[in-house]
Amino acid sequence: MLRNIRSETLIAGFLLLPFFAVYGLVFVYPTVQMFITSFTDAPLIGDGKWVGWQNYARLPNDRMFILALWNTSYFVVLSVVPGTVVALFVALGVSRLKGWLQSAVLALFFLPYILPVGVVYFLWDWILNYQFGIGMHGLEYLGLERAPVFKTLTWFLPATALVTIWWTAGFSFLLFLAGIRAIPPEIYEAATLDNAGRWRTFRSITWPLLWPVTALVLTIQMILQLKIFDQVYLFSIGGRPNDTMVMVQYIYTRAFVNNQGGRAAAIAVTLFAIVIIISVFQFQLLRMVGGSDRK
Amino acid sequence: MIKKMLSAAVLSTALFVSNAFAKETVVWWDFLGGGDGVRMKQLIADFNKAHADTVEIQATTLEWGVPFYTKVQTSAAVGEAPDVMTYHASRIPLAVSQGILQEITADDWKAMGIGQADYAPAIWDAITNEGKQYAVPLDTHPIVLYYNKDILGKAGLLDENGKPKGFNGADNFKAAMQKAKDAGAKWGIAGVTADGNFMYRTIYSLMGQQDGQLMTDGKFLEGDNAKKLENSLALLADWTKSGLQSPYTDYPAAVALFTSGSAAMMINGVWEVPTMTDLQKQGKLFNWGAIELPVLFAHASTYADSHAFAVPANKGKETSAEKRKATLEVMSWMNKNSLFWATAGHIPAYGPISAMDDYKKMEPNATYSPLTANMIFDPKSTVFGVAGPVFDVMSTHFVPTLNGEMDPAAAVEKIKADLDNM
Repeated sequence: MLRNIRSETLIAGFLLLPFFAVYGLVFVYPTVQMFITSFTDAPLIGDGKWVGWQNYARLPNDRMFILALWNTSYFVVLSVVPGTVVALFVALGVSRLKGWLQSAVLALFFLPYILPVGVVYFLWDWILNYQFGIGMHGLEYLGLERAPVFKTLTWFLPATALVTIWWTAGFSFLLFLAGIRAIPPEIYEAATLDNAGRWRTFRSITWPLLWPVTALVLTIQMILQLKIFDQVYLFSIGGRPNDTMVMVQYIYTRAFVNNQGGRAAAIAVTLFAIVIIISVFQFQLLRMVGGSDRK
Repeated sequence: MIKKMLSAAVLSTALFVSNAFAKETVVWWDFLGGGDGVRMKQLIADFNKAHADTVEIQATTLEWGVPFYTKVQTSAAVGEAPDVMTYHASRIPLAVSQGILQEITADDWKAMGIGQADYAPAIWDAITNEGKQYAVPLDTHPIVLYYNKDILGKAGLLDENGKPKGFNGADNFKAAMQKAKDAGAKWGIAGVTADGNFMYRTIYSLMGQQDGQLMTDGKFLEGDNAKKLENSLALLADWTKSGLQSPYTDYPAAVALFTSGSAAMMINGVWEVPTMTDLQKQGKLFNWGAIELPVLFAHASTYADSHAFAVPANKGKETSAEKRKATLEVMSWMNKNSLFWATAGHIPAYGPISAMDDYKKMEPNATYSPLTANMIFDPKSTVFGVAGPVFDVMSTHFVPTLNGEMDPAAAVEKIKADLDNM
């Protein structure tokens, strides 16, 4: 069949135009503006004077920036791999259930994910309230002392990570479940015939065949948790915001509280670069690991 | 050309018609969500009723704090800000530097029929920035000491009028808290020890009692001011350490500890007065009172802020003379009818109201009103003010210090470093 390449290109362009228009307006243009702003001393609203690299140059000596970088990394460690493991375990468990029971348990695990962050915050803030929280009675019942969970540095990020996993594992869990269902049952049947044990079956069939999903989940989680803001911000209100600061929260503080748009933009650009580098690097690494695993 | 003339004619007819028939609407934003918000809604309804043919307020209540002030700033930049809004006097320096407030001119004051003579000097000063006024004060809302009359009575801490006695002086007050505890209270005082933002008010008051300043000549905590902050922190930390003050207590929990009778006293804003009044009306509260903060250092001093009305500078949007007039009428009317606002615990800023006999009989306002002579406001700087940059710095170090995790001297050092890093 003969194809009119020119008209096809035209149609393609026409179909893609709305997307590019919106993408350009709400993503590309603001991003370019952000880069430009990061070289000025602009307040939150309005223009500023050109200051060159000054906003970037002060970052290595900025205690808050280093702290935010460190806290964000710590949060990533606390949430990405543990969250993925939890989701995988739950998916493996649920996939063994059948019929309505499976649907019911699936719904239970997925439910927290549909809650808005404000609800999640209120729920856990009250559960873990030092004076009146029901969780504190639980601790006392176990013979432990009450802990001011969201007010001390030791507990703040671990607790926030735990809440985050509770809240968001449902999504990764669904991805895993779909992945498990996509593995043909014949392979398991063959393994049973070969007398393979449960661990062997998991190690040699489920894990490698699920690897692409695992890599995807890890990458999504990594990007999400590098950009962590909502929960950390909410739980830190009135507490120790400057000690539990994470990167996006620092951008927010500089821009909206301190009215320093230029400095905020410089931090945002830095985070932007970090997220891109890490996610590309991670995805390639995971692909390599996955490749060697399957040989 | 003809088309242009035609449209101009249509436009002017439309304007004329709307002037003749439609009443002026004043779009209003506030951040009053609590018990005082209910009372403000009542005032707005009263205003609309009294101006049924002329002016109508269209009010929206928004989230207090950073969300409110961010929205004001962004909306003023694009000409979408309201006609009038509530504003904290302590936020005026920042707002002026951002260019989002219109000046209240001498003509405006004259049109409203109120002026400098109607306000206490400290309040007038709080709304003044470099010689110009940027808001019309409505109230002052200091913090006060709430007390449980039943417990303090049992502990022998009340005089014949039911007012606490022997509270002045740090040692005396500590002994009083111990007595209250011995009389059956779980805590001497419900401190909001898990919310450093809130504690700023108490700690700044205690600094004021030693004539301490947070900022002098643009520098933070110069000279012995650092020591005065340390003294204030050490005093409050000692209460927690001695088991007299509830540790790691956030705002709602502190109010609950007091209203449930677990804590004999509480330092909180006057805006909690409606909570107490309403609870007592339902028969769910003990006898209570509220007084000016006791003198724990050299002399009386209390942190206060002021709710005021401000007119945003809407970029690219001209205000008509009629609209301006209506807005001024709103601000003026609210001041002249602020007696009802006092039932929300606040002290009316407008002198003729606070001089009224009806106000002087109002309790507990009458008991704590004399503190207006000892009020201190935030330093005038763009970094101060409620929910401003200084709040986060203070909060971060107040919480660990008040709960014994951090040494007061170390905390002051860190606060100074963080303030300088802003």
